[in-house]
Amino acid sequence: MFGLDYSWLADPAYQSWLVTGVINTLELAALSSSVAILIGMLGALGLSLRVFWLDALIELFVEVFRNTPPLLQMLFAYFTLSTLGLETTDPVTGLKMPLLSAFACACISLSLFGGALAIEAFRSGLETMPKAITEAGRSLGYSRWARFWRIEVPIASRVCLPSLTNILTNLFKTTSQASVITVPELMYYAGQIYNDTFRTLEVMILILIIYVVLVSILSYGMSRLEAYLTLPGYGKEQ
Amino acid sequence: MNKFGKLAVSAIALASAVASNTVFADTLDDVIARDKLIVGVKNDYPPYGYLNDAGETVGFEVELAKYVASELLGSPDKIELVPVVAANRIQFLEAGRVDVIFATLGVTDQRDEVIDFTVHYVNAAGPSVLMPKAATVDNWEQLKGQSICGIQGSYYNKKMTEEFGINLVNFKNQPDAYRALKDNRCIGFVFDDMTLQKKLEEADWSDYKIAVTPYEYLPMAGGLREDDAAFAEAVNKAIVKAEGEGKLIEWETVFGMPHSEYIAERAKAAAAQN
Repeated sequence: MFGLDYSWLADPAYQSWLVTGVINTLELAALSSSVAILIGMLGALGLSLRVFWLDALIELFVEVFRNTPPLLQMLFAYFTLSTLGLETTDPVTGLKMPLLSAFACACISLSLFGGALAIEAFRSGLETMPKAITEAGRSLGYSRWARFWRIEVPIASRVCLPSLTNILTNLFKTTSQASVITVPELMYYAGQIYNDTFRTLEVMILILIIYVVLVSILSYGMSRLEAYLTLPGYGKEQ
Repeated sequence: MNKFGKLAVSAIALASAVASNTVFADTLDDVIARDKLIVGVKNDYPPYGYLNDAGETVGFEVELAKYVASELLGSPDKIELVPVVAANRIQFLEAGRVDVIFATLGVTDQRDEVIDFTVHYVNAAGPSVLMPKAATVDNWEQLKGQSICGIQGSYYNKKMTEEFGINLVNFKNQPDAYRALKDNRCIGFVFDDMTLQKKLEEADWSDYKIAVTPYEYLPMAGGLREDDAAFAEAVNKAIVKAEGEGKLIEWETVFGMPHSEYIAERAKAAAAQN
């Protein structure tokens, strides 16, 4: 079609590279998204407690991890943490080696980066909570924890779903940067395949389509979730 | 068709329009009209192309490029050196950003399908493996299942994984790979033998050795766009003239390379022809 040459796709080596690449990309995205959401919830809960030192700590965390490029965080984790003492001894060779694998480094930095963004998203959800609702909860005798868990979270999580979708799709695409620290995900293998075959355009088109499909599935899932959780009077009507 | 289907089709259509737009111009005419030869060379790859202490790009292939420029245009200074790396040199050539590449380009069948080669002027050792002196490994088969650092895009990566079963940990550039080897993220670094030999001369690397030697020798040549006959002939004539004059042997000495039989024999054959 259109004079594009996809004969290299018949090579079993390239097929298995692409499959492994997609699996690693999905694993990295799923793990870091889950941890990021968890961090976001905990961070927003922490902020809602209005404890001075905890606020400062969380704000610092958000500023550091939201305002630095995830690529830099990955390189930092991969190359410098071991010199700061995060080392272990290889049981086979007896040599000192870094404690964190490339995958772990990528996963941690993506989780922290996504987590910092998610804290802000959840916080904005909590802050839009009408004061009347929390006051109503108080007058009904709900404790601070019960108000947070049974009233604020259910409403706030619905309000912040659209921005959470943004964060998760961005995080998914950012996994491609992990190829720099040798995590064999989709971009890592794509580069190798077009360097072997010189079918740069064909490989890039295929990779582009794979990313579009994967991220579309994610955003479709999120929009279904949004529709399912929709509250009367909030968000779009069905 | 849904939104994404339409998007995908228009992306493919756009891309193929770009692809079919490649024009095969006569490079020789362009070079003469421009009065300058634009050459893709390495600048991080001693002894073939690297930056000297004064910040100038020098090396075996840079000298060759200058010689070709002086043959075509009458002066070795009528040249523009464009730094390229393994991962973009073919693309630079195809896109017309350079006229020719002299950039440690090994002659392989796959490359031959997309570009043309000049005469093969060097027979270079393929990859070898740099390891700590204490390593007991001495052949490729023993590396099966081991983590070895490498460079993304190297032509032998597929063979390493498929044939030798090596678990390659591939970096974007050499400094990262050297660093990872020192951190013991991998037990060795597989790369071009000549570069690793040069690395061993550095004081930092005295505890390391070439543990596994190259399994092949690969001829190296300049790269040209396909079906560019007049330009190819002119470039080849210049290279053979340099060989016949013993220039390549001279450059081996200048850049501290061991004298190879291959270059000596080509020099003799070329001298006999001239």
